[in-house]
Formats: sequence, structure tokens, C-alpha cells
Amino acid sequence: MISLSHVTKLYGSVIGVNDVTVDLGAGAYGLLGPNGAGKTTFLGLVTGQLRPSIGVVRVFGERPFCNARVLRRIGYCPASDLTERSATPREWVRYLVQLSGFTPAAARRLAEETLEQVGLGEAAGRPLSTLSKGMRQRAKLAGAMAHDPDLLVLDEPFDGLDPVARHELVTLVRTWARSRSLLVASHLLHEVEALQAGLAVILGGRLVASGSVHEINQLIDTLPSEVRVVSTAPRRLAELACRCPEAEAVRFVGADAFIVDTRAPRLLADRVVEAANAEGILIRELVPGDRSLEGIFGRLVQVHRGVAP
Amino acid sequence: MAVASFQINRLLTPPRLALAAIGAAFPTAVLLAATKARGGALDTDLGAILLYFLVPEAVCMLGLLVTICPVVADELERGTWVHIAVRPGGRRALLLGTWLAAVLWTGVVALVGLLLAVLAGVIENGLILLGPFSVLVCLSCIGRAALFSLPAVIIPKRALVASVGVALVVEYLAGLIPAVVNQLTVSLRLRTLLVRFMDWRRNMPIQLQLLVDDRPPWAQVAAVLILAVVFLTIAVAILEWRQFPPSEES
Repeated sequence: MISLSHVTKLYGSVIGVNDVTVDLGAGAYGLLGPNGAGKTTFLGLVTGQLRPSIGVVRVFGERPFCNARVLRRIGYCPASDLTERSATPREWVRYLVQLSGFTPAAARRLAEETLEQVGLGEAAGRPLSTLSKGMRQRAKLAGAMAHDPDLLVLDEPFDGLDPVARHELVTLVRTWARSRSLLVASHLLHEVEALQAGLAVILGGRLVASGSVHEINQLIDTLPSEVRVVSTAPRRLAELACRCPEAEAVRFVGADAFIVDTRAPRLLADRVVEAANAEGILIRELVPGDRSLEGIFGRLVQVHRGVAP
Repeated sequence: MAVASFQINRLLTPPRLALAAIGAAFPTAVLLAATKARGGALDTDLGAILLYFLVPEAVCMLGLLVTICPVVADELERGTWVHIAVRPGGRRALLLGTWLAAVLWTGVVALVGLLLAVLAGVIENGLILLGPFSVLVCLSCIGRAALFSLPAVIIPKRALVASVGVALVVEYLAGLIPAVVNQLTVSLRLRTLLVRFMDWRRNMPIQLQLLVDDRPPWAQVAAVLILAVVFLTIAVAILEWRQFPPSEES
């Protein structure tokens, strides 16, 4: 469905995406990466707003840039806020559907149905400027979905939503993606996990990993990591930790802490806790590796560069 | 049509309506001041000259500058460009729809201005100017909206300044050069039609005759329509080819 072959996008001397090669078949995918990683550029290439500087982008087997056949099958919800002030969601969605080639009557019907679907039925007649950010986000989503595309591309779609609205929209998008394809860009792993989508991880314009959430988690677990332990008996506990087959090296940090190098941080942490319980040692702090998104990205980059296996 | 009606709805705000009212009242105000200065009604020829510079030139030009120039810049600023760019034919529809909205909006303002000026009774036999000047207003709007769409798509964020430059250099400077270059201007066609309508050519000095075209009125109308089609085709081609990096969108 989406195929990028050695695609690089340059903005002058700034690299948007760098030598990306990926094939995504029909289905749901999450494009994960921190801010500035190149997600929006990737989506811009897929949705035909941008031309690659090098390489070839194909969507549904064709180059998408200004290609009406491809664009007719894509729905795109950008990350930027909708600052159209005077129009109402009803007028806005109807306008977009008409731009997709539908008659005014069909556009009216599709707009009403989709606004109802995203939970904006009652607020559809209010000017966009009077709506909350979450409601404007729903209006954007309705605009992307109303013409019933085969591929829905969403850029940070749940930004600014409260947890209830987030849950509702995740459910809506997940239901929608059962019968059609979905590509969601996000910097939050749990958002993509909630969509039960495959993952492509992008960082610094490079695609550093792709696969299912389970595969990515497995990959992350095989990367060199650290477990930091603060306890009342650090030397004894370090000795016990050394007996675990997952421990690769131990070093002391200060008087009451030590760090264990491992490739299985979660498993090692469990073993250290078990050993401490058996010996009656109090653990004050146990941090099983850097589980922050930046930490994970950093380690995936190491894999990508061949620094780590 | 969807874009045109959406753009006209965007123009229906109190500040824009106030601006349109000022634009419509402006020619009458200037003509009234001229009448007062002369101490009586203006003769038809002088009235026609003043009306020509006030309505098809000044009002149309200013109206078009504020309606067609922000065609892309406004969408980038509002964050709506991306929604339109991903629609099949969205870019083309945006340009042509906004062009139509600009022509209709400015045309209505200019025609109301013309009507008020004629009905104010400050020009002798002013009513005979109504028909010919309506044609000039329509052609001015059609041709110049298309002309200003070029800077609007080439340099969206400086489109207003660039369009003023285009108006001065192309329409007024190149339009007054008696050479091939003035054939490509709308002002030559409008001037020629004015001279024809007013039947001034026979009494014009030979030097001034160089500033108008010899071909019949239908050829002038056709020339404006052809220029509009050419300008719009080029503008659409440029817009279809343009890319706006995410950083350029608000």
C-alpha cells in the first residue's frame, strides 16, 4: 500500500527524512518518533504534499504528489490546529467533501453522518472559533474521514484531548481501521499501542525500526541496558545480582547504589527483587533501564547504526 | 463553486463589508468634490475620464489586491492549506474558486460604486456611461484577478507587495509602452475600449493614438479573456507544483 524506496527529503540544507526504505501493506500502522523526528515530512510525502528529493514514494502503486487518483483514496488529518474561524464544523466538513469531488447534496449527507460519528452532531452548527481544541480536533478528524478514504493518515490526532475524548477517538479510529488502512503518527508509544497497530519508528529523519509492537518490545529488550539499584545492603545484593545469568557487569555508584549492565532489564529486576526478599534486604529504588521514549529511541538508533546487535 | 461560495462567506465579515462600502462610496465622493471645485456638473468627457480612473482602475485594483493576493498565504496562515492540498484537484479548485470569488466580490463593489456615481447626477448624461463602464469593470476584474494570482502563488507571503509592483510595472509602465509588450496588458484593452465607447479616437493627437489599439472592441474583449485564461493556467500549474514544508504552515 505504502512504499518508500531510498527516500530522502531535503529542505535546503535541512534533512526531513533520510534514506528511508519501507513497505507497509494494508492495515494499521503507527509512526512513532519524538518531535522533530521527521514524522510530518514522512506523512507529507505519503499524502502527496511533498515530492521526495531523492528516491521514490508510491501509495496504492502510484506516486502520490498531486495525483488525483491517489489523493481521492487518502484522508489526512494534520497535526496543526484548525484556525478557520468563522466556519462551522458542518460547513467546513461539507466544503472538504466537495473538494474531494462529491456533489453538494452528497457532501451534506456525508458531513452530517461523519460529524455524528465523531461526536460533534450537536456542536456542528457552532463556529469553529467557539469550540474547544478537542472539538476542533474532532472536526479535523471528520474532515479526513467523511469522504470514506481507503487510507486514513493521522498526524498526532489525539493531541490536546482529555482522557475520555482520547479513549472515544481511539475506539472510533480502531473500529474504522478494521476495514481500511490507517497510518498514525505519534510521539506517544501508548497511543499507538492502543490502536493495536504495527510500528515504524523514526528518529532524526531515519527509519530505525519497524514491526509489531511485540517485535519492537522484543528488540528493545535485547538492547544493552542498565538496572540501577539503591538498597540498604548494596554489596550483598550486588553479589546476588551477579549470580543471575542476565547480569553482564556490575559497578558501584556511591555508598548505597550499584548498576547492573544487562540485555534483559525486566527479568533481571524481577530476580533482584526476589533475591532481596529472600535475604530480607530493603530496596529503596530500582530502575530497570531507561524506559523513556527517548531512551528507547536512543537504543534503537544504536541498533540501526550497528553499535548494538 | 464550493470554494467560491466558501471564500465569499469568509468575506462577509463586518470589517470587510465596511471596506466594501467605503470602496463603493469612494468614486462618488471624489466626483462630488470635483463638482464642487468646478462649481457645477462635470461634462461627459471629463466625467468619463475621472470615472475610468476611479472605478475600473482604482476600486477594481484595490478590491482585487485584497481578495486574490492572500489566496495561498491566508490558507497557510489559517492552517487550512494542508487540508486543501491533499484533496484531488484541491489546489486548482482553491485558485479558480478564489479567483471567481474575487471577481464577484470586487465586481459587485465596483458596479455599486459606478451606479452611485452615475445616479449622483454629477456627470452630464452620466447614465449613458453605465453600460460601457459596466463592461470595463467586468473585464478589469476578470483580467487583473488572473494577473494578480501569479504573484499570489509564486511568493504567497509577499503577494500584496509583489502585486502592487506588478500593477505598477506591468499594467501602468509596460501598458504605456507602444510596443509588443503592451499587448499583454489589461490596461491597453480597457483604455482602447474606453476610447472606442467615447468615440475619442478621431480627435486624439497622433502621439496619444499610439497608446490605444486599432483592433475592434470584440478583439479587446477576447484579448482580456485570453490573457485571463493564460495567467490562470500558469498560476494553476505553479500552484500544483509548489510544496510548502510543514514549517511554513502555521
